[in-house]
Amino acid sequence: MARIGLKDIIVSYGKNGSRTVALDNVNLDVSDGQFVSLIGPSGCGKSTLLDLVAGLRKPTNGYVEVDGFEINGPGPDRGVVFQDYSLFPWMSALENLRFAIEHSQEKTTKEQCLAKAGRYLELVGLSKFSDKYPGTLSGGMRQRLAIARMFAMNPEMFLMDEPFGALDSLNRAFMQDLLTHLWSRDKERKTVLFVTHDVDEAILLSDKVVVMTPTPGRIKEVVDVPFPRPRRRQNLFTSQDYIILRSKLLSRFSEEMQEDLAKQENELITWSI
Amino acid sequence: MKIDLENLLVTGIFVALLLLVVLVPNAANQTVHEGGNGIFLGVVAVILIIYIIGLFAGKDDIQKTTDIFLIMGVLLLAWEIFIGKLSLLDPFLFPSPEKVFAVFAEDYNIMISGLISSFAILMSGYILAVVVAVPLALLIGWRKRAFDVAYPIAKAVSPIPPTVYLPYAIVLLPTFSSASVFVIFIGAFWPLFVGTVHGVFNIDRRILNSARTLGLKERVMLSKIVLPAALPSVFSGATIALILSFITLTVAEMIAATSGLGWYIEYQHQYANYDKVIAGMILMGATVVVVMWFFDRIQKHCLRWQSVEGP
Repeated sequence: MARIGLKDIIVSYGKNGSRTVALDNVNLDVSDGQFVSLIGPSGCGKSTLLDLVAGLRKPTNGYVEVDGFEINGPGPDRGVVFQDYSLFPWMSALENLRFAIEHSQEKTTKEQCLAKAGRYLELVGLSKFSDKYPGTLSGGMRQRLAIARMFAMNPEMFLMDEPFGALDSLNRAFMQDLLTHLWSRDKERKTVLFVTHDVDEAILLSDKVVVMTPTPGRIKEVVDVPFPRPRRRQNLFTSQDYIILRSKLLSRFSEEMQEDLAKQENELITWSI
Repeated sequence: MKIDLENLLVTGIFVALLLLVVLVPNAANQTVHEGGNGIFLGVVAVILIIYIIGLFAGKDDIQKTTDIFLIMGVLLLAWEIFIGKLSLLDPFLFPSPEKVFAVFAEDYNIMISGLISSFAILMSGYILAVVVAVPLALLIGWRKRAFDVAYPIAKAVSPIPPTVYLPYAIVLLPTFSSASVFVIFIGAFWPLFVGTVHGVFNIDRRILNSARTLGLKERVMLSKIVLPAALPSVFSGATIALILSFITLTVAEMIAATSGLGWYIEYQHQYANYDKVIAGMILMGATVVVVMWFFDRIQKHCLRWQSVEGP
């Protein structure tokens, strides 16, 4: 549980001559226990924004605060899952969990860490694979493990950067359900910042969807997702409200892209004449 | 188990070798004293038995083993026929295998003590280099400023052959052994250092970021994340360092030692005992093979997490 605030964020890199602005004047507030998705085409700075909150990157201007305090670098109060490479390939599944628990919760004894690691491994159905190395697990299993690690660390908030982006659709649906299930179990739900480029995923999971546009990265609109939880795919995907919300998001999402495409089509037509 | 033509060929070559040694007398200038054929005969028999056991155990890598044994068998057979039986080359420079292997029976005392002293020097220098170079390189690779200073220096100094330092080491250090240890240390240091720094520099940013989000202390970060992540590159440096250590040791012993394998070869060389020179070379080769085998085992164990079919 934590509030996140991004104030007047500008991120740019490169020398003055060829300066690239990744994020331009971004302000965002995420309240306690909310699940917020960031969507937008590639290059809109959604991953950069997540890195800022994780503390992996410093803004050129502005600041990020958590519960009213400006953050200064990464910390175990913010659990992060990336698309891949969240895990350490030289540690077995169990060791990956144990290591993260041991270093995020200082007062836990070695035995408690190990027991907790085992419990979380079981929670995501990977007990059988406890001494397997990540390199020998499938992409889906690796992400399950990364999510187990995040929950086991028990941080104040979850930051996820396209965690299911590399999975096939079936695995993806399974992981979405697992995530919502684990997240909803807590009485005091964690604050979640979730980066995706999949509109359906964003609606299914979030309370709020932040639509971003590229070059320079800006927040275009913040849209509320009013559907009650627990959400079921078959009910949700066929409801009128869902379809309206989805097309609204998609149109925001792709206004720029459609302009670009139209321009390109025109050029092609001119050439062919 | 499936026995093909090549398996039979290899077995045949070694059997032929045994028969040749037992039944056909060597050329007059290539014979050894009564019963002196025993060692060579024994070595060939042991090789043959090992091969046959391997064949019947049906190991997966029998193909590779067969190829190696075939090359070994052909070389030994050629040596036996052209040198031992026909004596086509100068018998003084090119002794028969019987003569060479008889040296092991004659000189085994001095060889074993030489082996022990060489091994002690090699391991001291090498392990010292590992203990110093790897942590230092981890720290330097991790801190950009230290790296900017150290890397150009490493580039300039690392290609200097370590034996260049030998005269200084002999003058400055109390014993020849400590001087040799020092020179091996220097020789092994640079490949280890460069390999480790290289490894640290090439760690995947995404893995480092994931580690940073855990909020690790720098000590934990270096020992639990940076070191294992750089380990594949550390090991390729360590392999080069080990090979270089062997060369350095031999050269160092040839220059100034009074015992050791390198010294033995050099000493026999001065007295033109070429059978002993060749025996020394065979022993050295065998030692290298054994040490590298153990090294390989350690490497495979430490890098067992690297999957072949991985992402």
